Amino acid sequence: MTFRAIAQNGTSRDSRAGTAAPATTGASNAQQVLLSTLPPSRGQKRLALAVVLVLLAAFCATVPFAAVPVGYIREFIPAYAAAMFVISSITSALLFVQFSVVHSRALLAVSGGYLFSALITIPWALTFPDLFGAADMAGTTWGVLTRVWRLVFPLSVIAYTLLKDDEASTAWPRALSYFAILLSAAGLLVAADLVAWLATSTRELTPSGLLFSVINRAQADWNALLLLLALFALALLWSRRRSVLDLWLMVVMCGLLIELCLIILVGRRYVVGWYAARLYFLVSSTLVLAVLLSETALLYARLARSVMAESREREARLMTMDVLSASIAHEMSQPLASIVTNADAAARWMGRPTPDLDEVKASLGQIRDSAYRARDLIGSIRAMIKRDARNRLPLDINDLVREIVALMERELQRNRISVELELDEHLPTVQADHVQLQQVLINLITNGLEAMAGNRRARILRVKSAIQEPDSVLISVADTGTGIDPEIVDRIFNPLFTTKSNGMGMGLSICRSIIEGHGGRLWASAGAEGGSVFQFVLPANIAG
Amino acid sequence: MQDAPIISIIDDDESMRCAIKSLVTSLGLDAYTFASAEAFLQSPHLEHTSCVITDLQMPGLNGVELQKSLLAQGRRIPIIFVTAFPEERLRARAMEAGALGFLSKPFESETLIKLIDKAIETGRKT
Repeated sequence: MTFRAIAQNGTSRDSRAGTAAPATTGASNAQQVLLSTLPPSRGQKRLALAVVLVLLAAFCATVPFAAVPVGYIREFIPAYAAAMFVISSITSALLFVQFSVVHSRALLAVSGGYLFSALITIPWALTFPDLFGAADMAGTTWGVLTRVWRLVFPLSVIAYTLLKDDEASTAWPRALSYFAILLSAAGLLVAADLVAWLATSTRELTPSGLLFSVINRAQADWNALLLLLALFALALLWSRRRSVLDLWLMVVMCGLLIELCLIILVGRRYVVGWYAARLYFLVSSTLVLAVLLSETALLYARLARSVMAESREREARLMTMDVLSASIAHEMSQPLASIVTNADAAARWMGRPTPDLDEVKASLGQIRDSAYRARDLIGSIRAMIKRDARNRLPLDINDLVREIVALMERELQRNRISVELELDEHLPTVQADHVQLQQVLINLITNGLEAMAGNRRARILRVKSAIQEPDSVLISVADTGTGIDPEIVDRIFNPLFTTKSNGMGMGLSICRSIIEGHGGRLWASAGAEGGSVFQFVLPANIAG
Repeated sequence: MQDAPIISIIDDDESMRCAIKSLVTSLGLDAYTFASAEAFLQSPHLEHTSCVITDLQMPGLNGVELQKSLLAQGRRIPIIFVTAFPEERLRARAMEAGALGFLSKPFESETLIKLIDKAIETGRKT
C-alpha cells in the first residue's frame, strides 16, 4: 500500500467522523431495517400482487362449486383454529418485537389485533356447534365470536394505518415499552375471555344480553358490514402504503375479503365454499407470516454483515498508525536510495579518465527529482498531521475517551486489561480535531496495553480527565506495565525511537506533534505504583 | 570476442532502476532494466545475465518468487536483493535460498559494487 492511499483513507475517515452524530444516525439506521418502515422492493410488490391474483383465481374457480355439499369434517375446525392460533401468535410476537424497537403506537395496535385474533380462536373452536357436544347447537355463540373476530382484526389494521402517519418518533424507555406490551397482552386476554363469556353465558335482557342479540341478529347485515370494514381497511392501507408491513397487511385484507365474500355467497356450513373460505384466509395469513419471517431473517443477515464490516473497519483504523509509519519509512527510503546511488554513479562518471558529462547530468537530474519526491512526501505527511484548523471543533474529551475505550474493547479484553475511567463530568470542551485526538488516545492506550502484555500483576489502565487551572484540561493514561527506563524517558518522543521489536518509533513522536499542534503539551513520567503515565494538557474552551 | 558481463536490474520504482543502471554502467558493465520480475523472465537477456539486482517487494512476482522461479529453471544466477522493508525473516529466507546479498534501501554503493564484482568472479570461475 502506498502512502498516498493511506492519506486518502485518512480523509475519508475524516468526513465520516464529521457527519456521524451518534444518536440520530443510530435511530435512522433502525428505521431503515425494520419491516414497519422499510419500503418494499419491486420484487416484494410483485410477489404480493401474485399472491393476491392467485387468491382471486382460486376464489373464481371456487364460485361455481361453492354450494356443493362436502359434509361435516370433524377435524377441520380444531385444525384450522390451532393453525390460526399459532400463526396469529407468532405474527403478533414479531410485531410486538418491532414495537419494542420503534415504540410506534400503530405497531402496538396491529400486534394487539393479531394477539386478539390468536386468543379468540380458542373459545371460537370450543363453541363450534358440532364439536365437543357444545350445548348451543344452533351455533349462535360461535357466530357471534366469528363476527367479533372479523370485526376486531380489520379495526386494528385501520387503527394501525391511521396511527402510523402521525408518528413523532417518541423515545420511550425500554421498560415502558415492555410494560405496554405486557399491559396490552393482558388486556386482550381479558377482552377475549370477556367476549367469550358474554357470548356463551348471557341470554337475558341485560345490556350485554342486548348487545349479544344485536350481534346475533341480521346475519346478512353483519356480513355486509364486515365486508365494508375490510374493504375500508384495504383502501386505507392502499392510500397510505409505504412499508413492507403495509404491503403484506394488504394481502391479508384481500384474504379476509375473499373469505367474507365466499361466506356471504354460500350462506351455510359444510359446503365447498365454506371450507374454501377458511382455507384462503389461512393461506394468506400463513404466506404473510412466512414473508415477514423471511424478510426479518434477510434483514438480520444484512445487518450482521454490516456490523462485521464495521468492526473490521474499526480494526483497520486501529492499525493506521503502525501501517502509516511503516509506509512512511518505505516511501522515504525509495527516493533516499535513489539519491545516494545516483550521487555515487555521478561521482564515478566524473572520475573516469574521460568524464561522461551527459551521464553526470542525467544522474544529477535524477537526484533533483528524487529530492522533490521526498519533499512532496513530507508535505503530505505534514498536511495530514497538521491538517486544517477548520477541522477543529469543540470536543468533549470525556466522550472521546469513552468512544475510544469502546472502540478498543475487544483488544483490551483479549489482553485481560481492566479499564478504570475517572472522568471529570464538569470538563470544559477543547477546540480539537476529532480524528487526530482519536489517534493520540488510541496510540497512548495501545502503548499502555503493550507495556502490560507480560504483566504478572493486575493489568489496570487508568484514564483520567481533569480541569487544570486556570484554563486547560489534563488527560492522563496510566498503566501498570513495565514502566519506562529513566535513561530513555527523554528520548521516547523522538522520531524513530522505539523499544518494540515491530515498531517504527513514529507513534509517540506523531502524538506529540498533534498535541503541540493543538497548543498543548504531552509528556511521560513514572507511575506512582509502577508502570508509566502519559499525560497531555490542551487549552480549554472557557464557557462564557 | 568476450562481451561485457550483463547485469539485469528489476525494480518497480523507475528512479531506483535508473540510478542502479547508471552506477552499473559507470563500472563498464552492460545493464538492462525491468519494471517487473515477469518482464525479466520473458526477456532474451535472461540467458546472458551474469547478475540480477532485484527489489524484494514488487507487484506481481516478488523477489523471492523470482529467485525460486530461476532455481526451478536450473539457472543459478547470482541475485542481490534490495529492499525498503528490511525484514529479518525475508532476509534469512533469501540468503538460505542462495542469494548473494541483501541490501536495505538506502544502501551504500560500494557494498553493491563489491557484490557485483563477486558475482562476476564466480561467473568466470564456473
